[in-house]
Amino acid sequence: MSAPSATAVPGDTGRSRGSLWSKAVYKLSRDRFGMTGLAIVLVYLVAALGVWFGLWGQGWSDVTGPMWAAPSGEYWFGTNVIGQDIFERAVYSTKVAFEVGLVVAVLSTLLGAVLGALAGYFNGTWIDELVLWLKGVLDSIPFYLFVAALAFALKGYAYSMHVAMIATFWTTTGRLVRGEVIKLRGFEFVEAARALGVPEFKIIFRHIIPNTFHILLVQATIVFVAAIKSEVILSFLGLGVKDGVSWGLMIAESTQEVLAGQFNNFIWASVFLFGLVMAFNLFSDALQDALDPRSVA
Amino acid sequence: MTAMNRLFLLAGLALLIAGCGNGGGSRDPAAAGQKVYRHSMDQAPVSIDPLQGATVYSNFVILNVYDTLYSYRYLARPYELTTNLATSMPQVSEDGLTYTISIRPGVHFVDDEAFPDGAGREVTADDFVYSMKRHFDPNFISQGAWVWQGRIRGLDEWKEAGSNYAVEIPGLKAIDPHTIQIVLNKPFPQLVHTLTMGFSAVVPREAVEHYGKEFSIRPVGSGPFRLERFDTARAVLVKNPRYRGEPVDLAALGYDASLHDGLGLEAIEGRTPPFVDRVDINFVTEDAARWNSFSKGNEIQFAKIPTEQFDAVLSSKTPPTMRPELVDRYNMLDLVAPEVIFNTFNMDFEEFGYSDDPEREARNHALRCAMVKAFDWEQRSERFYNGIAKIFPGIIPPAVPEYDPDMSRESVTRDLEAARKLLADAGWTPENLPELTYGVAASVKQRQLFEQFRGFMTEIGYPAEKIILKQYATFGDISKAWKLSQLPFITKSWGLDYPDAENVLQLYYGPNGSPGSNDANFANAEYDRLYEQSAVMQPGLERTTIYRKMNQILVDSCVSMMGLSRTNLLMWHDDVIAYPDRNIVGGFWLKYVDLREQSGS
Repeated sequence: MSAPSATAVPGDTGRSRGSLWSKAVYKLSRDRFGMTGLAIVLVYLVAALGVWFGLWGQGWSDVTGPMWAAPSGEYWFGTNVIGQDIFERAVYSTKVAFEVGLVVAVLSTLLGAVLGALAGYFNGTWIDELVLWLKGVLDSIPFYLFVAALAFALKGYAYSMHVAMIATFWTTTGRLVRGEVIKLRGFEFVEAARALGVPEFKIIFRHIIPNTFHILLVQATIVFVAAIKSEVILSFLGLGVKDGVSWGLMIAESTQEVLAGQFNNFIWASVFLFGLVMAFNLFSDALQDALDPRSVA
Repeated sequence: MTAMNRLFLLAGLALLIAGCGNGGGSRDPAAAGQKVYRHSMDQAPVSIDPLQGATVYSNFVILNVYDTLYSYRYLARPYELTTNLATSMPQVSEDGLTYTISIRPGVHFVDDEAFPDGAGREVTADDFVYSMKRHFDPNFISQGAWVWQGRIRGLDEWKEAGSNYAVEIPGLKAIDPHTIQIVLNKPFPQLVHTLTMGFSAVVPREAVEHYGKEFSIRPVGSGPFRLERFDTARAVLVKNPRYRGEPVDLAALGYDASLHDGLGLEAIEGRTPPFVDRVDINFVTEDAARWNSFSKGNEIQFAKIPTEQFDAVLSSKTPPTMRPELVDRYNMLDLVAPEVIFNTFNMDFEEFGYSDDPEREARNHALRCAMVKAFDWEQRSERFYNGIAKIFPGIIPPAVPEYDPDMSRESVTRDLEAARKLLADAGWTPENLPELTYGVAASVKQRQLFEQFRGFMTEIGYPAEKIILKQYATFGDISKAWKLSQLPFITKSWGLDYPDAENVLQLYYGPNGSPGSNDANFANAEYDRLYEQSAVMQPGLERTTIYRKMNQILVDSCVSMMGLSRTNLLMWHDDVIAYPDRNIVGGFWLKYVDLREQSGS
């Protein structure tokens, strides 16, 4: 008897494993809302990549336009008080949103996977206790207070917002993975690996964590959206993006402008944010449905 | 539902209703029949200790909880000195060096636990001497020592000798409990003006020693109000019941019916201030929140109007005229502030300022001049000050008599071509231009000012990524960074402490370098010589000529981008009787605030 490969679903053969993923992909592709969401996310991704590669959005900081210009052929979304092109700023902010979303989603999911797997595998030991204690402590601190405290402690470090999000967003992933791992550690393929003398850490990282991918994938999408929303809120509060522009900063700027009857900053930053968050939520929901073993199996 | 459940439900509802109330009407001072005036400021003071009275925000509160020897006449313009704790203007010796000042007998500090039995004792001349000495005691950090540094005989030596309070200073003495004598090293015509500043406020030694570091938030003074509460959101001042009674003589305060008619000031004639029982000073950083609170009607009663609201408030900008529909609800005052808004390089930083290498220094001069030429004051005024600010060359603002309206405006006229040429001739390229850290106190407006500045600079080829934003949580934090010379570039506004150009020219006097008021750490021998020469001169043409020469040195050295004075629109509710000009007069006017009858409850 050989141990199942890294992506094996316990209890299934390789053939049935493949069909599980195929079924998930098939189910996802049949979800019209999910695919619409994915298409919109891809549009945003293209916009962000264009900014990354310097194709557009590079004039976001120029102050050469007139004050509060109305939308026109030259300034599609108008300009703000210092003559900056709101379209350029909104598009550039897409890059910022993706940067924050990706960094936080990847790192917090990884952290959650590792700590959750360790806690689950060593369930009932001091490692489990330690991870649960850490999670409990982090969950008990109000998020925005935590970010403010961290920003203060890190003395204006540009990525304090990222650190705060990663440090707190992993806990949900960790809890889900821990539960899954507690279940998996009793499966035969794990017992077989142990009987063969495979080191425990190898069992965790090569055989168990890959079997939590369906959780991690869904969690990553959820965290991605949460990170973008949090970034906007934090930037609005002055705790987020330190230099540059983001939808949150644009909305913060608009608090001055709406008093003067100027709404372009507010409207367009909100529309961009709404579009991406809504699209990602649709995609995330569809992915969750598609990867739910109960509905796919 | 059982009877018991119903009882719990009713009790819960009662609690809910009580919680939705006003928090207990009997505890609301206004509801309790007290006169409460709700003021607002756009920043919070960091400290109420006179040693730290460097900002208008600190100074405003300090002047209301402490006494200074002199103040300014409430309504007189141009600003005129008057007595406060002093009984009369000082007796000055013929050589202009010795000032003898009598203070009022029978003035007491507020009751406080710092005193034996908690009863505030009488203010004496010794208290003034002690308060001045504190600025020169190395155990304290003073932001105001620069005002008297090198001016009062023996004071600097006293500091160097270890600041022993038992040692008498020849130039700063209490001749008797109610007489002070100040002897100067050389004439200092502005001395009496400096004795109006919060820095010179009189503090009791017992309280300083009793509260230690907490003294910065536990003021114990003899001013018209006592501080009841202070945090980053609000300061609450309550009437000092022991404040000396002096009935108002409007004519003596400078009342002019042609200027002040309609403000209701006649109602305070003959009455003894302070007139309100309590002042809530709300620190509202965000313009939008401040305006909303003001226009709501039942919250703050005074606000500086955000520029975004000018169009909604004004029917005309020149001169500023309030819309007819607002006239019945609000009063308005438009004032060109006696201030300078300027951006200055910190010459201590070799990247932009002084260098041991003459060639580098010459290149730095070209770089600074190029950046000065790239800065667009007109656009700054248009975008942030509604186009009604006063732009002027140099550091001497239009508010003082020494201002030169005929000075060349080249330094405030944008010239991108000349700026680019200066950079190219000096060998500056986008690759070798130094990084510039631009500090701001975190706020949306400050960030926009930064972005505008960066936009101006990118137009002469300064790479945007080399102009770096550094945010500080509060104005106090960035102020500290300036004092510690931690930033190469400083964006600042300086409100004049007294109506004399010396007050802005001292901002560049070498010995006033960090942590003094010379944040630019400008050091120019000729400038310093002229400053010292003019510092002992009485106002007049000769002194004005020297002032203008110094101003030209500053312009030629390109040490700063200067300058602008805002036209402030101040509005207050119609039920408030006040002339709330904080320029020069500082916070002295607060004791004269009253409320009309309909809002007195």
